[in-house]
Amino acid sequence: MLQNNNLKVCRRLVWRDIKFHKGRSLLLVAAVALVCMLYTFSFSLGGMIRDGYLYTYRMMYGSDSHILFYDVNRTQAAALQEHGSVREAVTLSAIGFLSDDMMEYRSVKLAAVSDGWARATEAVPMQGRMPEKEGEIALDELTMYSLAIPHEIGTEVSLCWTPADGGPERTDTFRLCGWWDSLMGQTETCAWITADTAQRLYPGGPERVALGVTLYRPKNLEAQAQEMLTDLGLSDVSYTVSLAYNEARREFADSEAMNYYRLGGIVVLCGVLMIYNIVGISAKQNVRFYGMVKSLGMTPRQIRALAVWQAFFYCVPAMIPGWICGFALYAAAAPLVVIGMEQNPAFQFFRIWPFVVGALFALLTTLAACALPFFRVAGNSPVEAMRFVEGERRRKARRGKRRRATTMQMAFTGLARYKGQSAFAAFTLLLSLCILCGIWTQKVSFDEDKYVDGLALNDYRLEDASATTGMQRYNPESRSITPDLIRRLTEHPAVRDIGLISTMEVDLYADEEMRAPIVDTFEGKDENGVARREYMADEPDWVAGYERMRESGEYTGIVMGVSGLMLENALAGGSVIEGEFVPEKFATGAYVIAAGADSYEIRTTPPVGSRFRVAGREFEIMAAVPYEATIVSGADSRQAQFNVTYYMPMEAFDELFPGHGIRNVAVDIDRDRQEEFEAFLEQLLEGTGITVTSFDDYRWNFRNAIFHRYMIPLFVGGVMLVIGILNFCNALVSRILVRSRAFAVYESLGMSGAWLRRMLVWEGVLYLGIMLPFLTAVSAAVTWVWGRWWLAHTNRWCVTWRYSLLPLWAVLPVLLAAVAVVPVCCLRVVRREQVTDRLRRPE
Amino acid sequence: MDIITIQNLKKYYGSGSSQVRALDGVNLTIAQGEFTAIVGASGSGKTTLLNMMGGLDAPTEGEVFVDGVRLSGLREEQRAVFRRKKVGFIFQNYNLVPTLTVEENILFPLDLDGARPDEKYLQEITELLGLMDKMRDYPGMLSGGQQQRVAIARALLPKPSIILADEPTGNLDSRNGQNVAGLLKMTAELYHRTLVLITHNLELAQLADRVIRMQDGRIARQE
Repeated sequence: MLQNNNLKVCRRLVWRDIKFHKGRSLLLVAAVALVCMLYTFSFSLGGMIRDGYLYTYRMMYGSDSHILFYDVNRTQAAALQEHGSVREAVTLSAIGFLSDDMMEYRSVKLAAVSDGWARATEAVPMQGRMPEKEGEIALDELTMYSLAIPHEIGTEVSLCWTPADGGPERTDTFRLCGWWDSLMGQTETCAWITADTAQRLYPGGPERVALGVTLYRPKNLEAQAQEMLTDLGLSDVSYTVSLAYNEARREFADSEAMNYYRLGGIVVLCGVLMIYNIVGISAKQNVRFYGMVKSLGMTPRQIRALAVWQAFFYCVPAMIPGWICGFALYAAAAPLVVIGMEQNPAFQFFRIWPFVVGALFALLTTLAACALPFFRVAGNSPVEAMRFVEGERRRKARRGKRRRATTMQMAFTGLARYKGQSAFAAFTLLLSLCILCGIWTQKVSFDEDKYVDGLALNDYRLEDASATTGMQRYNPESRSITPDLIRRLTEHPAVRDIGLISTMEVDLYADEEMRAPIVDTFEGKDENGVARREYMADEPDWVAGYERMRESGEYTGIVMGVSGLMLENALAGGSVIEGEFVPEKFATGAYVIAAGADSYEIRTTPPVGSRFRVAGREFEIMAAVPYEATIVSGADSRQAQFNVTYYMPMEAFDELFPGHGIRNVAVDIDRDRQEEFEAFLEQLLEGTGITVTSFDDYRWNFRNAIFHRYMIPLFVGGVMLVIGILNFCNALVSRILVRSRAFAVYESLGMSGAWLRRMLVWEGVLYLGIMLPFLTAVSAAVTWVWGRWWLAHTNRWCVTWRYSLLPLWAVLPVLLAAVAVVPVCCLRVVRREQVTDRLRRPE
Repeated sequence: MDIITIQNLKKYYGSGSSQVRALDGVNLTIAQGEFTAIVGASGSGKTTLLNMMGGLDAPTEGEVFVDGVRLSGLREEQRAVFRRKKVGFIFQNYNLVPTLTVEENILFPLDLDGARPDEKYLQEITELLGLMDKMRDYPGMLSGGQQQRVAIARALLPKPSIILADEPTGNLDSRNGQNVAGLLKMTAELYHRTLVLITHNLELAQLADRVIRMQDGRIARQE
């Protein structure tokens, strides 16, 4: 028999159905828009996380180029540029590098302006401009802070640099013409000069250059670099490949993004449930309809086409609102997820694919939900389909004494009739509440105050401009924190206490007796049988410093002058490991406190009572305390990687090093005046390059970390809760809509509208009344058990057990409002139709 | 020539003591162009028998041949196409698609097949059934009798081999019922269609060429 499956008729049927049931269709479109929004949000967020990681790796690498070839001659550079794999190339002709001691942890190349290289490494002046005239120079801000160069165009800058050919170090003077923000984590950058200046300083120019290449296919960079070098016979050329294209790093970025993509998986489940529930309002009619059209000759393929067209028609109008809302949500969440970017990362990492994939997934989700009623009757004959519907209506006959039909009794009957759907809605609510309450309890158990008190030694810490990052060696010559600034700070009425710390690296000598406990510690073996110094084997500067002390007794000491709050910080809350801290003796300036390992078993400081000389003055170690690493910012010299730290009163430090700089300032304030103090501080520190870390930064970091940890689970729980509430409302709505004929019968028998309303509100109240104890008991128990288990298996010091069922209490008023409002509104809609019309309609 | 042949047809629902024998060994032949009425008490198996003839339900045992086609040998897809092409159904509750107009409802089986209607035949039927001025209306705007006439037009238009009518006048008042029955008989005769009709109405049954009385899933008597 010739089969002709005309599918156009399916489209017409669906379109008419949508037009005939505008309310339900609008509800479905809104549900699909919500689903599309969630997909767009989760995929955009996941994509942004991935791109964010790759961006960070690129920043760490310091260049947009895929491969950097160092130290190639001009012929080799030209050959590499011409290679078929290369799309674009930039070159850097560095005549040398800045070799000031303060540039210890960073490599700053002195080079003729290369616009391409500057763009690729984001080394383009944001203030001023690139050098254009002989003798001009443009620098990055970290270099300027490290070398204490003021931020003034035209400033004379004397730089110590070493020529590329390894010639003797020399000092030249330039005029500052511009600067740019340094990229955090970037250890290499350039100091730009004009080509003429470069020619004058390095006649003939350097023979070797650095070359950055961008490839057509940024995959397997290592293999491509090797291939290029092999093709050109340049086996001895050194190179690095971009971290952003490293397979392991990309896998890590993908795995981090996967957490957000998984959210999409939950949306699949929630979305199908939500849409199916709305479709389910007319489930019986749908099944009857399928039976009817099957009896008229509609094939299964045509019925499947009905589901596809339904999904299509609901999806098309839902896409744009879904995309817009999804992007808005994403744009709101993005700055909270990826922090530290000036531009909203949502725009920086904007991609089209999450929208396309979001729409596709929304279509598939809708299709799954629309196809479910079809699958419920698939394979059945039309008669069986009809029987499927009628079978649901069969009820056992009641036995027992005759009862009067009261409002309450009819409400009970109505509730019992749809118990399956009611139970399903209750289950969705229960699941979401268990998830939300459990996660909420964990979240609120993280104790912010405990965290801030534990980590922020003081309310504010001011950091000298040369010591703002761990890769900046502190420059004792820097004077960004001035005595006048200290005076103004101290005089501010909000300031309750203040403390200063200044540091100086000095060469010291330890005799056999002094060095013995240190050597014993590092030569000694730990519980694993490994000599402790072995753990430092990959720190050559530390090893060299330690060996120097062990063999000759000479070592680098870091003398720190402390006052006020800084002395309290140095004493680490009074946990003295050895000796005794006597404030009066310490104040005399003849005694110091040694700081070392945080252990009573091992010693990394000379014995208490031993003496040493600094600048001709003798000091005695009165106590040893654990070293508090957060007391100072920035880095010390490589030579001081192995050191012994000594705290002495600031007065004694002043005498030893008159006119010294101040590395850090600790400030405690009256927190009621925080706003006033911060306004003052902002004004006070403007243009100084001084960095401030406040207790609010810790608080913010804490909140940010907690947000990151719980954002997705809370969001998922929230979405499920919304769907649970929608299902609850849907259960209320659908059992009213499908009984429009039954209500017409009641009305024809004399039941008033008010009675019907009362009955339906009672039905809702009973539903809630039965559901609520169950919801409360189960979610409270699950939250308690889950929370205690989590508490027992988490070892975070900043956790305080706080049992909270806030999400449950928050949802109660919503459910109460729903049982009061939804039945009344629905009944009003149902009663708009005449009783006779409703009576004519099959139930 | 027989257009419907039914051999030892059985349809059982449930099992054990609660088993219901809706059809219990029915043998029947219906000739082409014959008007057959099936009567019997509720639960006697009339509707089940009609559903089996139209391929709407599958038998527990036995065979149904319609126009030479063995229905149990058809897959679901083929059975749907069979219904579309060979059978015209008229149901007690009309089973019109509420979202389609009268005209679209009448054309629906042809639309499913992607076939073009015979315009002359369409006009003839709609005139005969008095639906000309109702073609743009939706079923909800029509009376019960008018809706049943739409269902008859829908059953006739594809020119099926058989027309199966399940209590087509059951929802109509007696005047409308008479009208519809008369129209049904007239159109079946006019277009030489085989008509099988289920009814409780003995007056209506008297219009048929043959009356089959069902009882407890068996044919009790044929007149």
